[in-house]
Amino acid sequence: MNSKDSKIILRIEKLTKRFSGVVALKAVDFESQEGEVHAICGENGAGKSTLIKILSGYFPFGSYEGRMFLSGHPVEFSGPADSERAGIAVIYQELTLVQEMTVAENIFLGAEPHRWGLIDWNRVYSETGHFLELFGLDLDPAARVADLGIGKQQLVEILKALSKKSKILLLDEPTAALSETEVDTLLNIITGLKEKGITCIYISHKLDEVLRIADRVTVLRDGEKVATLKTGETDKGEIIRHMVGREITQMYPLRRVSPGETLLQVANLTIAGEGRSAPVLENINLELKTGEVLGIGGLMGSGRTELLMHLFGTFGIRISGEVRIRGDLVRISSPLQAIRHGLMLVSEDRKRYGIVPAQNIGFNISLASLRQFTDGILLNRNREVSHNQRIFNWLGVKAPNLETSVSKLSGGNQQKVVLGKGLMTEPQIIFMDEPTRGIDVGAKVEIYHQINSLTSEGKAVVLVSSELPELMGMSDRLIILSAGKIGGKFDAGEATQEAVMRAAMAFH
Amino acid sequence: MNKKLTFRDFSIGIALVLVWIFFSLVSDTFLSPRNLAMLSIELAVTATLALGMLLVLLPGQIDLSVGSGVGLIGGLASVLVFHHHWPSGLAMGTGLILALIIWSLMGMLIIRQGVPSFIITLGGLLIFKGLFWLVIRNATVPVTEGNTVNLYAALTTYYFPAWTGYLFAFLIVAASVILKLRSRRQRIQHGFPVEDGEVVFLKLFVLAQAVLLFVVVMNRFRGIPLSVLILGVLALVISAVTRHTPFGRYLYAIGGNEEAAVLSGIPVRKVVIGAFAIMGGIVALTGFMQTAYAGASTTTVGDLMELDAIAACVIGGTSLKGGRGTVMGVLFGSLIMASLLNGMTLLAVSPEIKFVARGSVLIVAVWMDVAFARKAAVAA
Repeated sequence: MNSKDSKIILRIEKLTKRFSGVVALKAVDFESQEGEVHAICGENGAGKSTLIKILSGYFPFGSYEGRMFLSGHPVEFSGPADSERAGIAVIYQELTLVQEMTVAENIFLGAEPHRWGLIDWNRVYSETGHFLELFGLDLDPAARVADLGIGKQQLVEILKALSKKSKILLLDEPTAALSETEVDTLLNIITGLKEKGITCIYISHKLDEVLRIADRVTVLRDGEKVATLKTGETDKGEIIRHMVGREITQMYPLRRVSPGETLLQVANLTIAGEGRSAPVLENINLELKTGEVLGIGGLMGSGRTELLMHLFGTFGIRISGEVRIRGDLVRISSPLQAIRHGLMLVSEDRKRYGIVPAQNIGFNISLASLRQFTDGILLNRNREVSHNQRIFNWLGVKAPNLETSVSKLSGGNQQKVVLGKGLMTEPQIIFMDEPTRGIDVGAKVEIYHQINSLTSEGKAVVLVSSELPELMGMSDRLIILSAGKIGGKFDAGEATQEAVMRAAMAFH
Repeated sequence: MNKKLTFRDFSIGIALVLVWIFFSLVSDTFLSPRNLAMLSIELAVTATLALGMLLVLLPGQIDLSVGSGVGLIGGLASVLVFHHHWPSGLAMGTGLILALIIWSLMGMLIIRQGVPSFIITLGGLLIFKGLFWLVIRNATVPVTEGNTVNLYAALTTYYFPAWTGYLFAFLIVAASVILKLRSRRQRIQHGFPVEDGEVVFLKLFVLAQAVLLFVVVMNRFRGIPLSVLILGVLALVISAVTRHTPFGRYLYAIGGNEEAAVLSGIPVRKVVIGAFAIMGGIVALTGFMQTAYAGASTTTVGDLMELDAIAACVIGGTSLKGGRGTVMGVLFGSLIMASLLNGMTLLAVSPEIKFVARGSVLIVAVWMDVAFARKAAVAA
């Protein structure tokens, strides 16, 4: 730690950010000293990324309330270029390197030194070499980025930021994709930056890392700052308590269905992602009965979505394990097969995987079930419209009629259309990946009621959610994934938020 | 169906009227029955190919090889008829089957190997051109032997007798009235908004007038050309395919959001290959009509027709990104393209200027497509 007279390099006062009615940040105060590593922790959706986006100028001045000071001077960024000029650099989870260029080319991309109008390649490579040495990195400036491991690429990304003489580094989950040794290297470099007077704002779910390198940690919850703690005077337990400490409200309608026969069984499932050798999911076991809601929790990147996508036939390569539906061994390699086996996936990313925006509601609802409506080869429009109408009414989509374009609907209503499309295939097992993300509270409760009416018809639901209260309120049983493995299993009654959080961190 | 009309919808009609007014002012013969009959045969050829292109553009693909393909398949059939004395039906059947196979293979290559359709079909453009010239040995190959008339030549030389024209007109109007009333009844039953009864009557009345006018004008020359009937049947079929079959819906869904289509259990690969296979069949049909219209297969048959087809689609509101486009729009777009080419030929515009004009129309059409898409995005 620096001495007492260390300067405040970054200060934020009463920062509030709203998205069309939803408050993402609520009067947040935050400050960081020069040369400090300051971690920000919080559940998914607590407001961490919003905060980063404001600091980086992604959300320009005027789109939020509150004030920001750098070294005591107020600043008003109108875009990322402004914050970069002020010495703030952001390292996102997704890398922004050009894969086909060399390390040196990437580091100087957009800031190439030139002589007589030509790029001064000697300087590019010699300065890069000098840089690498400064941070004790064993990298060839002329190596092609695509040939480096993901961890080395992350380091190049950081060097690129530092080459712009940045004073403040914002790191958003920088270790999410790294192996343990790569994490070590990265953390050592961050510790080294401290001595060079560079400030790091470090966002991570991995509390061990946070405790190891950060000087202080600020916890956000539901857009509010809950606490700022010195890492020397706190522990994992206290941080977790601050992260989840809230009451579950009575949003979740009770369900009275006793589970019946087993529908879906997954045994010892291990899956590799495409083009990656390390398993994305390891040794997954689960069971789903009729009338049941199985909740799957875990942090972002823990493999929840990948598990659903794999079972639905669109993700990964199975290394081992088996999947049974009603006791029959199945091998599903496409969504078409999955739908024929009575599965349906309601995706978390409705814009990407859910709707066809240019078309109307009716087109979208019946899209996955058109074979039901053919007489010979022609569609029977009459029958199709009647069925669409029934689903439309049942879900209570707020729109004039079936011919309204889906792109004109609100998020919650689009979600209902995607759900309707899924239900029209008459599935037995419905995978719902974050079904209530980004929709307002009223629509959420409607979706909860629909989940319950599905289970009362003897269907089964697998619910993936980042919102712990939702997950615990809606599920009969919970499986918590942690880094691709099962971190814990709970029955509805016995789960507490802290226990679930601990399970989610089990393998971090 | 009952969407609000935008400037875009009107712009096609306005452009068409302007083109016609211009050519009728500068040329005495543009509106003559004879030229209008020729124009409708040229429209039949252009629009047939454009309807195939629509099916390829809807799922977000493109086919640049169709112009060369038109020459190749037409030329192949001519060679079989003229040099090998095959019956014209058999020759055309062979060409058709070959085209279906070639285009299915191209579709498979595009979708299974993931090579962009732009590249595969650009290669096809050159390959088919080379094969075409090999097949006809750079010579002129007539579509019939001597002065005999065969099915091949009849494609663009047969005209229906006057009374059949009136029969067609009656059938078309009757079918339109029945379909319109049925759809209206169903919409009322489902609680959808419907047009005013008077508006419906007016629309049907205008349609009846237009059809009757067309028949009268055509009968003043030789009658309704066979190729117009071919186009009519094809347009009906493609319209039914795009609007009333799962296959057609899938084309729109794939072009609108491919990942959502995959997760909805749509057999994306089969559908796209199917679209290319139909394109192949339509290339063959266009090849026969275009070659027959020229009277013989020569090295220039089919030149640049792919660009006319794409321009016709885009002018008619088809999106090059996929997911948007209608048969009606493509027919209008084709009429604009065919009218421009016909009018320029009448005025004896030099080939140099024709190239420049065709290129300009293509650029303006695509630019308008992009500009309108951006405007729509801003509005949404």
